[in-house]
Amino acid sequence: MASGVPTRWRQAGILLQIAFRNLFASRAKTFIVGGIILFGAVLVVVGSSLVDSIDVGMERSIQGSLGGHVQVYDARSRDELALYGGMMGESDLRPVEDFARLKALLLAIPGVRAVVPMGIDQAMVSIGNLFDQALERLRADVRRRLAAPAPPQEDPEYEAHKAHVRRMAQLLEQELLGARAIADMSAAVNRERADAFRDLQRVVLDPFWEELDRDPLPALELLENRIAPLALDGGFTFVRYAGTDLDAFQQAFPGMEIVEGTTVPRGRRGILLARLYAEDWLKLKTARRLDKIKEARDLLHRRIAGDEELQRWVKENQAQTRDIMLQLDPRRATEAVRRLQRALGSRETDLLRLVVELLATDDANFDERHRIFYRELAPLLQLYMVKVGDVITIKAPTKSGYMSSVNVPVYGFVQFKGLERSGLAGVTSLMDMTSFRDLYGYLTADKAEEIRRIQERSGARAIPRDQAEEALFGGGGSVVEAGKARAFDEGRLLAGGGGRRREDLFSRVYSQDEIDRGVALNAAVILEDPGRISQAIRDIEAMSAREGLHLKAVSWSKASGLVGQTRSLLRLVLYTAVLIIFAVALVIINNAMVMATLQRVKEIGTMRAIGAQRRFVLVMVLVETVAVGIAFGAAGAALGAGVVWLVGARGGIPATNDTMYFLFSGPSLVPRLGTVSLGVSLAIVLLVSMVSAFYPALIAMRVTPVEAMQTDE
Amino acid sequence: MAAIVTAENVTKVYQLGKTEVHALRGVSLEVHGGEFLAIAGPSGSGKTTLLNLVGCVDVPTAGSVQVDGQDTRTLSERALTDLRLHKIGFIFQTFNLVSVLSVFQNVEFPLLLQGGLLAAERRRRVGELLEAVGLGDHARHRPSELSGGQRQRVAVARALVTRPPLVLADEPTANLDSQTGGAIVDLMRDMNRRDGTTFIFSTHDPRVMSHASAVVRIEDGRVTAREAAGPAAGGS
Repeated sequence: MASGVPTRWRQAGILLQIAFRNLFASRAKTFIVGGIILFGAVLVVVGSSLVDSIDVGMERSIQGSLGGHVQVYDARSRDELALYGGMMGESDLRPVEDFARLKALLLAIPGVRAVVPMGIDQAMVSIGNLFDQALERLRADVRRRLAAPAPPQEDPEYEAHKAHVRRMAQLLEQELLGARAIADMSAAVNRERADAFRDLQRVVLDPFWEELDRDPLPALELLENRIAPLALDGGFTFVRYAGTDLDAFQQAFPGMEIVEGTTVPRGRRGILLARLYAEDWLKLKTARRLDKIKEARDLLHRRIAGDEELQRWVKENQAQTRDIMLQLDPRRATEAVRRLQRALGSRETDLLRLVVELLATDDANFDERHRIFYRELAPLLQLYMVKVGDVITIKAPTKSGYMSSVNVPVYGFVQFKGLERSGLAGVTSLMDMTSFRDLYGYLTADKAEEIRRIQERSGARAIPRDQAEEALFGGGGSVVEAGKARAFDEGRLLAGGGGRRREDLFSRVYSQDEIDRGVALNAAVILEDPGRISQAIRDIEAMSAREGLHLKAVSWSKASGLVGQTRSLLRLVLYTAVLIIFAVALVIINNAMVMATLQRVKEIGTMRAIGAQRRFVLVMVLVETVAVGIAFGAAGAALGAGVVWLVGARGGIPATNDTMYFLFSGPSLVPRLGTVSLGVSLAIVLLVSMVSAFYPALIAMRVTPVEAMQTDE
Repeated sequence: MAAIVTAENVTKVYQLGKTEVHALRGVSLEVHGGEFLAIAGPSGSGKTTLLNLVGCVDVPTAGSVQVDGQDTRTLSERALTDLRLHKIGFIFQTFNLVSVLSVFQNVEFPLLLQGGLLAAERRRRVGELLEAVGLGDHARHRPSELSGGQRQRVAVARALVTRPPLVLADEPTANLDSQTGGAIVDLMRDMNRRDGTTFIFSTHDPRVMSHASAVVRIEDGRVTAREAAGPAAGGS
């Protein structure tokens, strides 16, 4: 029928019209149902935009920092790999003995772009105390003067360093006086203290320093052995580091940013300290507290007045001025007094009082004081205990139990994009692979060479355990004989490089081969196409089985442990909320529609009587609900999109603490509206309204035309 | 004229809980085209049941009902619906207009279900009918804005819009005052005369019966009498 089409359209039109008019006729019901759908749609759009943005951000952060795309480690390890540590500290991984071979095998897999070796662990970093540092400078001056044919008459640097140590001694003396006044100590302790105190009193007087000029070494020894131990600051901190092939690392992980200093030159030993670690553990506590107060005020709009934590920090800043006082040698102390007097408009001449005044901050003066601290005082101070160029000593127990330590030069400070403030994922420093192997007692190229040389010179040879008995007690007695036969020249061994000197180690450039040959705990695999992670995992495991290796390959997400779980948890929370909302929506919509259908039994019966097919009635009820679904769902999605846009336009959601900063991969989360989340929300809303309309539609369909004839209503 | 409805020995038994209700006990009836037939009887006599069977909204338990030559017991639910749509118009005691549609849309509704007519043709037909029932200027009103009599006029127009050979009316005047009811019966009678449409209506109002061309009396599920009354359009 040629004219059938327009009629069908008209029929659809009348269906819609009936639907909309019914909806309008029962406004209360429509708005309840619609309101729920609207809320659900807003939740889906906003929620999934947030979670998606977090997800994308974290994916970028983690893939770009340590994770890569796939992580490979020994399947026989006791723990699972956790790149950012787990509940119980670092995971206990069985080392991959021959990384070079692993690397070659992995690179042979199609789609693998790079393979980066890693060994992640924690170690202690010794931080010298301030007295030690001042003394070190003085010692250098003394060495310089002793080496010179005639010590110069004018030596301002030497004088300044002398004055600094003397000043520190004075401060220590005052401190000790205070301690003696309040402490009730046993006789033995008191005697010890008395001795120390006598030494201190000697050191602060002129004759001692005149003696230092004349005969420096005994005086220096006294300072070092008797006085330095009295300065109790310093000590050690724990550092979490990843030993890695630093060049390969930098190429593979775009998230790595050098914030100060430089990268470690190719093939050299060195460490890049995590900026966050430096902030938390190496920065002058006063400065750190000022930073934290400023952040709390600026970012979270907290105020010192009425905030116990901020007030505590202010108090601690005023009470704990020792580090600042010890750092300032007399010359700088004078300069500091001059600067602070000017900046604070004060006539006070005592440095301590000036510093305390500077740090007596309240909401009115905080920004000004913060500025003064950084502009006037900070340039005179060493803000960080470790600076670029320092050599730090890192200690850790090896797997065989004894402590091992390495010295590594600090080339710079590093942070990872998006993880700048994550206490969990942003504190990992980066160290060269060779130092890592040294620290762990793993065999490095150097040590292998050393052992080879010792074996050669001493005539020893490696004998497998099962042949040892035979070799020792069997016929020839070759082992013992050979040992006697050769002269053992220890001196030559040492000179030959067995104990390489520090400078040699630091200037030595290790070849790629040396870096690759040896152990690694895990390896990050970077793919050409990040979308093919599961394929790559299958390929790697197939390779492992083929080569008889025991490798385990996991996605970056799984390898990131707790951090990765946070992502899944967020998504789970969102989905659960959405599920609950829509389950409730389903029940309510279903109920409302059943009620509405029962109220309209007669009307539906009439339609059936005058010739409407069951399908027509079915579609009518479905259209009604789906129309509500689409209308309010679209409105909700639009509203959600508006919210997302508005939040974005206003600079996003600020991260109010480090956890949020970490989740947001930055200082704020700017949610991005995904077409996917829009589409998904509409699809969910449609589905929910269809499903919830299904039962009432069935009821409607079963209405018989006889119902139209009933008059008893 | 050929019979448009033929009922032969029709029985209808309803199951009401555990009891069986014998609504019709062997009814036979023949209705010819153009008749204006009243079915009379007290409440519960089986009038409505008989109309339901003739109107194809229900099928007999035994016996046969033929509408326009088709045995309703042999037809599927779908075919029955189609038969209703194309051959039968309905007028209900309680008017049964779709409350959310306008007068015009209510009348147009069966045409839309039928399909096949262009919008202009539909408009013309609906307009003519509304004029004929005296509601030409109420096309845009909602049923709730009309009086009972006006609503029933709309229902008459809706029943006639597809030009069915048969119109069934179940107590069309029961909910109207006698004057308005009389006017509705007059209207139906006019249509019957004008187009030759067969009307079968149930009633227990003697004055309504007086307009009928024939009256079938039912009592206790049985036809007790079939008597010719006034002149019918095609029957005379």
